[in-house]
Amino acid sequence: MNQQDRKVLACVDQSHFADTVADYATWASRRMEAPLEFLHVIDRHLEQGSGEDHSGAIGVNAQAHLLNTLSEKDAALARSQREQGRLFLNRLRERALASGAPSADMRQRHGTLDETLAEQETDVRLFVLGRRGASAETTQRELGRNVESVVRAVRKPILAVTEGFTEPRRVMLAFDGSAVTRKGVDMIAGSPLFKGLPVHVLMSGKAAADGPKQVEWARSTLASAGFDVVADIIPGDPEAIIAREIRKRDVDMLLMGAYAHSPLRSLLFGSKTNGVLRSATIPTLLLR
Amino acid sequence: MKSLKQDWFSNVRNDLLAGLVVALALIPEAIAFSIIAGVDPKVGLYASFCIAVVIAFAGGRPGMISAATGAMALVMVTLVKDHGLQYLLAATILTGILQIIAGWIRLGALMRFVSRSVVTGFVNALAILIFMAQLPELINVTWHVYAMTAAGLGIIYLFPHVTKAVPSPLVTIVVLTAVAIVLDLDIRTVGDMGELPDSLPIFLLPDVPLNFETLAIILPYSLTLMVVGLLESLMTATIVDDLTDTSSDKNRECMGQGVANIASGFIGGMAGCAMIGQSVINVKSGGRGRLSTLSAGLFLLALLMLLGDWVARIPMAALVAVMIMVSIGTFNWASIRNLREHPPSSSIVMVATVAVTVATHDLAQGVLVGVLASGFFFAHKVGRLLGVRSSAEDEGRQRRYSVTGQVFFASADRFVASFDFKEVIDKVVIDVSRAHFWDITAVSALDKVVVKFRREGTDVDVIGLNEASATLVDKFAVHDKDGGADLLTGH
Repeated sequence: MNQQDRKVLACVDQSHFADTVADYATWASRRMEAPLEFLHVIDRHLEQGSGEDHSGAIGVNAQAHLLNTLSEKDAALARSQREQGRLFLNRLRERALASGAPSADMRQRHGTLDETLAEQETDVRLFVLGRRGASAETTQRELGRNVESVVRAVRKPILAVTEGFTEPRRVMLAFDGSAVTRKGVDMIAGSPLFKGLPVHVLMSGKAAADGPKQVEWARSTLASAGFDVVADIIPGDPEAIIAREIRKRDVDMLLMGAYAHSPLRSLLFGSKTNGVLRSATIPTLLLR
Repeated sequence: MKSLKQDWFSNVRNDLLAGLVVALALIPEAIAFSIIAGVDPKVGLYASFCIAVVIAFAGGRPGMISAATGAMALVMVTLVKDHGLQYLLAATILTGILQIIAGWIRLGALMRFVSRSVVTGFVNALAILIFMAQLPELINVTWHVYAMTAAGLGIIYLFPHVTKAVPSPLVTIVVLTAVAIVLDLDIRTVGDMGELPDSLPIFLLPDVPLNFETLAIILPYSLTLMVVGLLESLMTATIVDDLTDTSSDKNRECMGQGVANIASGFIGGMAGCAMIGQSVINVKSGGRGRLSTLSAGLFLLALLMLLGDWVARIPMAALVAVMIMVSIGTFNWASIRNLREHPPSSSIVMVATVAVTVATHDLAQGVLVGVLASGFFFAHKVGRLLGVRSSAEDEGRQRRYSVTGQVFFASADRFVASFDFKEVIDKVVIDVSRAHFWDITAVSALDKVVVKFRREGTDVDVIGLNEASATLVDKFAVHDKDGGADLLTGH
C-alpha cells in the first residue's frame, strides 16, 4: 500500500482524554495529509461470568437453554455498547472535520486493544492514543495500564498524548545512537509531520565513545533536510535531564525509542520508557 | 503473563462461588459413579478432587469441570469385577499416559470426524446409561425409597423457584438425610456402599505385578478409557467454548486429561474426564476461569474432611434423585423432536450410536459405529453427485460422453453403467475434465469402460484425465488455493 494512503489511527475510549487524542490526530493527519480514522475498541470481557444462578440444578435441555440466555445477554449488552460508542465516535469525527482534518472515518471493533491494533497495523502510518484513558480516570496512576502492552504489540510509531492540545512548535528527539532512534532521525527528515519546526537532538545517559559522531550525523542529516537543528550531549540520568531540558527549551513534543528491552526485564528493573513517559508531561512519539 | 492472569484472576468472586456449587454437586456424583464402577466411594471422591485440581493447571479449557465420570465408570465395571481395584489404578495411570501421547501427536484433530449426530447420540446414550445405573437402587425396595426419591426430585426442580442462592441438590440431600435420621428409616445409605475417605489422599503405587500379563489385562481397558475420556472431554470443551464464546486449546486439554489421570491413579483414584453436566452448572453459576475448577476440587476435599461422618448417612434415595436430574439435564431432548425433522441419515446415525452404546455399555463402540455410519452415509450421498451426458457427433460416427461429478468407490458402478457399450459406433470421446477421480476404484472403472469399448472395435479418446485425477494424490487440497471452488465445480 502506498505510504500516502496509510491512515492516522486515533484510538479512543469514552473518557475526556478522547478529545485531546482527536485533536492531535487531526493535527497529524492535516500535516501528513493522511486519512484519519477513529477506532473504539469494545473489550467484552468474556473471561468474566455473571453469577446469579447458584441453584446447581440442570433441567430439560439445560445446555441449549443456558446458551440462549447467555447469548441474549451478550447481544443486549453489545447492542447498547455499540450505540453508545457510535454516538461518541460521531461527535469526535465532527470535531476532527471542524478543525480541518482532510477526511475522518470511524470504526468500532470487539477485542482487546493490543490485539486489535496489531491486526490493524498494516494500513496505519501513525497511532495516536491517550497516555491515560477511562481506566485511569478513577485511579491516580500517571500511565494507563494499556499503554505498555499496546506499544509493545505494534511496530509503527505511536503518538502517546497527555491531556490538553497545543499545536507543536518545537520537538525534541531523545537520541541514543541506537538503530531505532537513527531510524527516527530518518523519519523526521523524510516526513512532513515536523516540517518547518525546530528540532532539538539530545543525547543523555552514560557518555558513549562514538556519541559526538552519532549526534553530528543526526544533526547533519536533519540540517540537510532543511531543519533548524540544535544538537547537545548532556551526560546523566536520562529521565531527569530530558524532563529538565523539555521545560527549559519549551519543547512541546518528544520523540524517543520505546521498550527496547524484554517485558520481563522491565517488570524487574523498571522501564526507561515508562520512566520518561511519567516524568515528561508532553506528547511523546514512540518509535519502535 | 497476561493470559495467565486472565485465566486465573479475572473473575475471582464468581469463580469461587461457582466452584463451591460444583463441589457440592460433585460429591453425590462422585459417590454414584464409584458405585457404578463397583469400587468404594472414596475412590471416586479422591479421583474427583485430584482430577479437578490437576486439570485446573494442566487443562486447555478454563472453566471446564473434570472429575470421576459415569462414562468412564461404565468402562471399568468388568475390570474391577474380574481383577480388582489395584488393576483399575494401574489402568488409570496407563490411560493417562495414552492420553498424553494422544495430545502430543495431536489426535484431538480427529474429533472433526465425529459428526453432530454422533455427539448427540453420545450424550443421549450417556444420559440413558446414568439413568439405568440408578435402577438397581429402585428395585426390590420399600415404598419409602420411592417417596424419598420423588420428594428429592421435587425439591431439586422446585427449590430454584424459591431461591437460586443455594444449590437445590444440596437442599435435597440435607432434607432427605434429616428425614431419614429423624424418622429412623431403614433404607440404604452411602455408608452401606463402601469405604469413605477418612484422611487426605496419599501417594501409593498400584499393587500389581509389572509384567506383560498385567499389560494384556489393562491395555484394552486403558485404550477404551482413553478414547471415551478424550471424546467426552473434547465434546464438553466445545460446549463450554460455545457457551462462553471463547476458544480453548484442545491438544493441551488432551495432555491435561492425561496428567490428571496419572495423578489420580497414584493417589488411589479412578480414571475420569470432563463432565458435561457439571461444566454447564459451573458456567451457569458464573464460573469462567481456572480458579473455578481448582476451587471445586479443593472445596470437595474440604467438605469431605469436615462432613465425613455425615456423608455416610446420606440415603441412597437422595443420590438417586440427584443422578436422575443429571441424566435429565444431560439428555438432548430436542433431538427427539428433531428425529423427524432432520434427514433420515442423521437420525439413523444418532439412534445407532445410542443403541450400540446402551447395548454394549461402551461409549467407545457406540461412537465408532456412529462415525462409520456417518462416513457410509456421506459416501452414499456424494456418490450420487455424478452425471454422464452423451451426444452423437460427426453424423453419427462418433459419440461424446461428458462426465461431471465425483467418481470413487461408491459411484464407480454407476459410472460404468452410464455408458452404452452395445451401440454400434466408430469412435467414442470420453470427456472427464469436469469429473474427479478420487481413488483407484475410479481409475480402474475408467479402464474397464475403455477396454469394453475397444472390444467392440470402437476407438476411445479420453480427454482431461490429468485434471480429473489430480484428486488421486493423497495430499490433494484446494482450500488454500485461489479458485479452489472452481476446481471442484468444473475446470
